[in-house]
Amino acid sequence: MARRKLTPKQTVEYADSAPSAFASMLGGLIEANVGSRPEKQKDFDSLEARVGIWVTDIDEGVTLDFQKGHLVVHNGLWPKRDITIRAEAGTVMNLSNLKIGLFGMPVYYDEVGREVAGKLVRGKLRIEGLLGNLATLNTVTRIFSVA
Amino acid sequence: MAIEAFSDQWAQQFKDEINKSSVYKSAAKGWKWKVGLVIEAEPDKNFPESKGVVMDLFDGAARDIKIGSADDARACDFVIVGSYTRWKQVATKELDATKGMLQGKLGLKKGDLPTIVRYTKASQEMTECTTRVPVQWPDES
Repeated sequence: MARRKLTPKQTVEYADSAPSAFASMLGGLIEANVGSRPEKQKDFDSLEARVGIWVTDIDEGVTLDFQKGHLVVHNGLWPKRDITIRAEAGTVMNLSNLKIGLFGMPVYYDEVGREVAGKLVRGKLRIEGLLGNLATLNTVTRIFSVA
Repeated sequence: MAIEAFSDQWAQQFKDEINKSSVYKSAAKGWKWKVGLVIEAEPDKNFPESKGVVMDLFDGAARDIKIGSADDARACDFVIVGSYTRWKQVATKELDATKGMLQGKLGLKKGDLPTIVRYTKASQEMTECTTRVPVQWPDES
């Protein structure tokens, strides 16, 4: 497994020499978000967690290893994950469109929020490891959010 | 009556479909960038030269959609590239554009990623609009 050489300014690193399109997209999204929004940078700098995302309709996933101000993106699901999110592609992208409301909590009462909550209720969005990691999930959602 | 794929007439009908869509109008509110689609050549599919679709989209409406060269499309603010086969799959609902991008079958080569993610619903509806245009595909004629 080849690691790309890390430069001091690099916040996102790809563990695989050929990151998947999904890994590149998520890594790129987080890098752009963190780089352009100071409040996201603060969340990013404080987050230490391993988050898996599995896209059920393309059978592909990534593991995001947040290391307090640095992120390593792995192709596929790696062990020792704190949280694993499993959903279809459209739902995964919709997670990025959750608005962030009062006290930094994701908003589940607008159109996008209701759609995401509905998928959760119907089992179309599954979050493993939620118990005990709710704060981590909220932080990850804030980092992802483009809304 | 079916229209030649990626022709001027196709572009006009695609534009009309977008402008008829209330879903697009609402989902694309605030969008103000030009989007270029590069359709890469596949000579063995009777699509010998790459083409570009240049879309002038503004605040929930399609102001203009033109067929040009691949370079015309690459000059836009957002550029999405795929082979003829991939775009045909999108237009025939065999491939969801979001999934296609996550799988690398379609590539976002230029443009701010958070912005395009913010408008996922609009891009999904735009894909729906392409499926409403009856098309004569060059590899089927």
